[in-house]
Amino acid sequence: MSAAPYVPVTKDEVAFVGTGPVPTRPYYDPAYFELEREAIFKRVWLHVGRVDEVDQPGQYIVRPIEAARASVLIVRGADGELRAFHNVCAHRSAQLVPGDGGTARNFQCRYHGWTYGSDGRLRGVPDEGSFFDVDKAECGLAPIALETCAGFIFVNLDRTPRHSLREFLGVWADRIEALDIGASDVFSEYTYEVEANWKVTFDNFQEIYHGRIVHAKSIGAQTFAPENPFGYPTKYSFAEDGLHRSKTLWFNPNYQPGPIEALASRIVATSSPPVSDTMASSTEHFYLFPNVTFLAAQNRCFTQTVWPIDAHHTRSVIRVYWEGPDPSASVRFAREFRTAATLDVHCEDRDIIEASHQGLRSGAFESLHFQIHEVDCRHAYHAVDRHVEEYRSELAGGRPA
Amino acid sequence: MTINVHAALLPPGFEGLEPLVADWAISGSDARKRRRIASSEAERLAFYAAMGADVERALDHLDQFPVDDLDASHQRLMDLVLMLAHVALAVEKQGESESYHSISQAHFTITRATEDAARKHGHALQQRRP
Repeated sequence: MSAAPYVPVTKDEVAFVGTGPVPTRPYYDPAYFELEREAIFKRVWLHVGRVDEVDQPGQYIVRPIEAARASVLIVRGADGELRAFHNVCAHRSAQLVPGDGGTARNFQCRYHGWTYGSDGRLRGVPDEGSFFDVDKAECGLAPIALETCAGFIFVNLDRTPRHSLREFLGVWADRIEALDIGASDVFSEYTYEVEANWKVTFDNFQEIYHGRIVHAKSIGAQTFAPENPFGYPTKYSFAEDGLHRSKTLWFNPNYQPGPIEALASRIVATSSPPVSDTMASSTEHFYLFPNVTFLAAQNRCFTQTVWPIDAHHTRSVIRVYWEGPDPSASVRFAREFRTAATLDVHCEDRDIIEASHQGLRSGAFESLHFQIHEVDCRHAYHAVDRHVEEYRSELAGGRPA
Repeated sequence: MTINVHAALLPPGFEGLEPLVADWAISGSDARKRRRIASSEAERLAFYAAMGADVERALDHLDQFPVDDLDASHQRLMDLVLMLAHVALAVEKQGESESYHSISQAHFTITRATEDAARKHGHALQQRRP
């Protein structure tokens, strides 16, 4: 890690996002969450997987999106085309495919046996002659918009998406593609659930202010130094109409790891090329609206996707991407260490996320306060609230407020 | 596969680590995480000291073989090394906080490690489109 001098971000640089208190109610109110379902999770592009997971014809993955009350079937057709469908049979709307993925030539409904091809077309209807005027050509699976960026699969549950993925991500699409993580075709993954609103969960990872207390053991010594005692980031950036944001982490140049951590770091650093030469000396977290974190660090890429289950429960899926299968025992060891180390950081967060949600839910305070280095949380609040307000206006009569 | 009861638990040269096998040669990343949670501080310190002293020698030896095709004794040594990754985090970083930390850890599930990825996707990766 290069020893860049620490230059603090100033109030003037981030004041345009806002400076006043922010209401607490959106962080716990079930009625607000019902609006978020419609205004956000049924309308914007959501990251659901990697193209490498559905590389071969017939390979499929199933992803629950509780916030939209949907299950999405993503399948590579025999023709090589990648498609997404609602995981629902056209007969009587039973959920079609159980499990979370596999390889199949056809999908047969477990209820009455209607069968679909990997292109979503209805292929077979048992006792078809007993139906009245069902047109098989009209009874394929319900398609969902699917686009990819740098190998990351996104879906949009809107029947007519307002933007292409490219328009939605804007300059962030170029920057993610520039990370050159297309070759990162192997990943480690872990998940956890937390009793907290999805925004409370996501916000925890958008600020470093808590690191001094919560992460003193796991990454404290790496991120604190006399010149930067809170380990604050050195830069925040915002893009595309107030949707997405990033922070650039700062690291203590004099950090001394323990012997086994040092061994693992040495192996990772010498075994594979950096994810990106341009990113090699910094680590920038990208936050894609509404629920994805990308971290482009040297030698690996990390994503965390935060999925609302309901207003008070969230599932988090973390992946660490690597370039190619383990070439050796040493690399396998180093990757196991790095993944477990990342998990340890998230472990330290989990109970404070729940404590935060419990406090918010009590309604003890009507507003909360963000400082300079919580600007990404503030920015996320505005991005969410703008979608909710626009949707409210539509409900009120189709005119912008 | 039959197991020869007289077969060595670990490859030649690593006999000194054999007392660790029963407790620490754990298959699967999530199982290793759970073994860490279930361990006492004294157990962790003893394992860290014994395995830490030999880990570089073990990796040098293991690196001579295809990592996805290890025989049983080498796989046990590999699993001991992978277990050290988890225990080292408890010893080198969490220290006396580990017992509290482990409560939160129990809520996490490692759903895929790179050893699984290699097994699941090895064939597909060899046939990647350009």
